[in-house]
Amino acid sequence: MKSNLWKFFLLMAVLVLALVGCSDDEEAGKDSADSGKESAGKNQVLEVAVFQGGYGDAFWKQLAENFEKANPGTTVNVTANPDIGELIRPKIIAGNPPDVVYLNQTDPSGVTQGLIKEQGFTDLTDLFDGNAYDEEVPLKDKILPGVLESVYMAPYDDGKIYMAPYNYNVMGLWYNKTLFDDKGIETPKTWDELFALNSVAKENDRALFTYQGTVPGYLEEILIPAVYSLGGQEALDQMLNYDPEFWKTETALEALGIFEKIANEDNALMNGTVALDHTQSQTSFMQGKAMFIPNGNWFEGEMAEAPREDEFEFGFLGVPSFTADEPILALSSMEQMYIPKAAANPELAKEFLRFMYSEESVKLNGELTKAAMAVVGGSDIVADYLSESTYNVFKAVESGMYSMSGNFAPVPSGVNVDPREVLFDQAASVMNKEMTVQEWADKMYEVYQKVEDKK
Amino acid sequence: MKNKDRTLFILFCILPTLAIFSIFILYPVTQVFIKSLYSSSGFGSNEEFVGLANFVELFKDDIFIQSMKNTGFLMLVVPAITLFLSLIFASILSFGDLREKHLYRTIFFFPSILSFVVIGILWAFIYHPNMGIINEVLNWMGLNQFALTWLGSKDTVLWAIALVMVWQAVGYYMVMYLAGMDGVPRELYEAASLDGANAVQQFFKITIPMLWEIIRITIIFSINGVLNISFVIVIVMTAGGPNNASQVALTYMYKQAFVNANFGYAMAIAVIVFSVSLVLSFISNKITEREAH
Repeated sequence: MKSNLWKFFLLMAVLVLALVGCSDDEEAGKDSADSGKESAGKNQVLEVAVFQGGYGDAFWKQLAENFEKANPGTTVNVTANPDIGELIRPKIIAGNPPDVVYLNQTDPSGVTQGLIKEQGFTDLTDLFDGNAYDEEVPLKDKILPGVLESVYMAPYDDGKIYMAPYNYNVMGLWYNKTLFDDKGIETPKTWDELFALNSVAKENDRALFTYQGTVPGYLEEILIPAVYSLGGQEALDQMLNYDPEFWKTETALEALGIFEKIANEDNALMNGTVALDHTQSQTSFMQGKAMFIPNGNWFEGEMAEAPREDEFEFGFLGVPSFTADEPILALSSMEQMYIPKAAANPELAKEFLRFMYSEESVKLNGELTKAAMAVVGGSDIVADYLSESTYNVFKAVESGMYSMSGNFAPVPSGVNVDPREVLFDQAASVMNKEMTVQEWADKMYEVYQKVEDKK
Repeated sequence: MKNKDRTLFILFCILPTLAIFSIFILYPVTQVFIKSLYSSSGFGSNEEFVGLANFVELFKDDIFIQSMKNTGFLMLVVPAITLFLSLIFASILSFGDLREKHLYRTIFFFPSILSFVVIGILWAFIYHPNMGIINEVLNWMGLNQFALTWLGSKDTVLWAIALVMVWQAVGYYMVMYLAGMDGVPRELYEAASLDGANAVQQFFKITIPMLWEIIRITIIFSINGVLNISFVIVIVMTAGGPNNASQVALTYMYKQAFVNANFGYAMAIAVIVFSVSLVLSFISNKITEREAH
């Protein structure tokens, strides 16, 4: 018995030694990695983490290669993934973030949203004050006007730029161009004209409108321009900066009223919309089940594989206004890039961003992502590469359509509701006729009050 | 002396398990409790101690209350229906004279080997308001007014999700009961039928009491299963919609932690869910214990 016991102890001791041995190896591995970093004084390594969505990752791989060529001795590692947020979260928490991140604030991983709350960015103001890569002008003059001052890039209202714009998106309502051309239907300029098309929609065996039911945030593409059209920048700022009084105004009720009208009018909302996710609803739209749907300039690329009705062609309408003498609107937004605060190579990362805004890179981006970067004349530079519908979107914006931007401000820390989310969640209840516009506004007043308390 | 050796030996034996248990279970669980007292975004810095403020907020948060109600509904309805159906199916397969017994056994068990995500996508299309098989069949039968938007209405969405979860789990528990039923001595049934007991009486007087220990375990399994499975099913099928009508506790926790970056708040939700499921398991254990013979 006793000898057995001793054998067992011996076995355990061996096991423990083996385990210790393992951990030693790990330490050693870490050491060599550290020394690798030190010797990188000349051989710098830049970690770039990018969201791989509708724009793919080919641009980033090529850009990295070009950057390496232009800066001998540097190595750029690009990590591209549709779930990049989940991949970099542990690295950020461990204090070892990538040097450059491209990930939007609205990404479901919430990583960018969290970093905004946390003030976890490197200040980029000096990058934009400095000269551009290929021209002797300040970089900020090459970016589309108004973008760097917007809440997208300067989230704290302190005059400092923390995020760098990448692609420029334009969003609004879409329709089937073939249908409108063949049947001689005029595209609506105002909401009244749009609702008047309901009978035409019915004749053509489709509903007037559908949206991405389980992802109701897409309705932002209607609501923000509608508020702007009714109440101007002042009302819009009230809504986007969580002023509760906004929801007591006529503007708010009238803007929300669009959705109630869609809910109440016969044939206006496609049957079952509320239960459909974005792919399902967008497919239904393309199959001719609905006349209009909100989406952005990436629509054609996103749905390249989806079934569609015969002769379907993407047409971009924008967002109607409320009076006939106002131009039709479109909502624009910027894809966001940033350098996390604890990044190992912030200077090199800034250099990489500067390089990205050079004309050559902008062209490369147009070629590989079929999109326009938020630089002055961005869509002209890349016109050859854009798909027809995307080009039409940008062209429409250039020819009279008024492109405006607006983004909900970050909520102060300690607020446990996301007002934007609550706002659009209610849409389902309104569409199901379980809630009136007045109740919707009252609910939002309450939520905004909560944010106001913590300001 | 011998006793001391023995204690040492036992200590030594449990040491590895204890270490792993502490690192992977005790430590994270304690962290959940600690983090629930902080306001934090989950990115490491800017943590602020707020005491019980997160919990106070929680009980004023109508989405949280809604999500707890929804979770409670699923925890009540899904295990009850699942276990009842599993018992019935198991006894039919075990005692009935069906030649296709083995085929049914396989078919019923089949959903249990599918991934939850696949099940969610599958059923999202079955419930699809315009091209799903349910509404197509209803329309074909001329019952157009019953062809509802199953996942889009707050009155039907929870039942629709409950049905998916029952469908998924019935086969699994059925197999467990089948194994139990095979162990029940046949003489009991012979004696009962000699005394004139019919099949239903035999089911309630012999099968259920003999399986009672298995049933107790499956009740707890199934309640906890609901908690976990509902997360995947809801994320895939409805994303919590319409307007949070199908939001469950874990989806709301996930949303707060990783989408809204309110990590401390989310941990407070986790603490409540943890306590509730602990209490529920305890209660169900107590209730069923008294009835055991």
